[in-house]
Amino acid sequence: MSAADGRGAPDPGSIAVGDPITPLVVDVTATRIVAGAIATRDFMPAHHDRDFAQAQGAPDIFMNILSDTAYCSRFLTDWAGPEAMVTRLAIRLGVPVFPGHTLTYRGEVTGVHRQDGTVTMEIGFRAAGEIGDHVTGTAELRLPAPGSSPPVNPPG
Amino acid sequence: MPDREPSLEEQLAALVGQPVGSRPVSVAPDPVNVPMIRHWAAAFEDANPIYTDEAVAGGTRFGGLVAPPLMLQTWTMPTPVITGIAERGGSPVEVEGEAPLSLLDRAGYTATLATNSEFEIDRYLRPGDVVTAATVFESISEEKETRMGRGRFVTWVTTYTDQDGGVVGRQRFRILKFRPSGAAS
Repeated sequence: MSAADGRGAPDPGSIAVGDPITPLVVDVTATRIVAGAIATRDFMPAHHDRDFAQAQGAPDIFMNILSDTAYCSRFLTDWAGPEAMVTRLAIRLGVPVFPGHTLTYRGEVTGVHRQDGTVTMEIGFRAAGEIGDHVTGTAELRLPAPGSSPPVNPPG
Repeated sequence: MPDREPSLEEQLAALVGQPVGSRPVSVAPDPVNVPMIRHWAAAFEDANPIYTDEAVAGGTRFGGLVAPPLMLQTWTMPTPVITGIAERGGSPVEVEGEAPLSLLDRAGYTATLATNSEFEIDRYLRPGDVVTAATVFESISEEKETRMGRGRFVTWVTTYTDQDGGVVGRQRFRILKFRPSGAAS
């Protein structure tokens, strides 16, 4: 089980620059690509129809960008836990990813700011597969500081 | 010289600030809802309880169930017309009129490569929220030499608002429109 249930989540009081994000390994299958495309309501045939993808010059169907940002956010909050709020996610797209590939997400804390009961973290990360970096990116996450009561988001 | 044809640079400059699609805004066909969130969480095996476990979510800073922040773009994706999707080149819906970017295709930048997607999240959405997306061209670069060939970077920015008009987030999306290698420039 990942840190998504709150166990093993980082202690906001001691998070520091250089802390590693718990790696995430994703075995990419056709089922996973199609499931992600449809769950994000992206019906472009290149993400579910191999014949269409090959007619466009690709070797197989490939993961859509909305799935990429989804896996990045899962990677970050699996580590940071359910109190974390993702306030920024910026990705740069590298090589495509096809069925049979394995993606490994790795990252580390690159900045920490503590203010007004909130710990704001900057994170740099990448998802690498067999043929190179699929995604590189940066993100900002916010956690409540120990003992603080941050404003509810979204406001109720 | 009021009658001369505007140059490509002038036509591209005129696109900045203009809507990217055929409609100025897209309204989500359904409010933010738990069934679509559960489908999303299952597809990505994202076990974060704030998305699907009401009891746990209620005890967090979020005070109840919220939508995954990176699901923001999903709510306003067009409902597809399955029949004819491949014949339309993969476009999920009928395209009305000529797309503004066909200007670049006619100028020889016929190939497209997505390069960046950047989200800023102001607040997490709750079930019942209705999302509207307004997407405009933010910038179109001058021609640059890239590893794909000579091309121009096109950036559009989508502002997502809720039913009260409040901004919930923004997305910048960048593509490279380029001359396929081997094509005459």
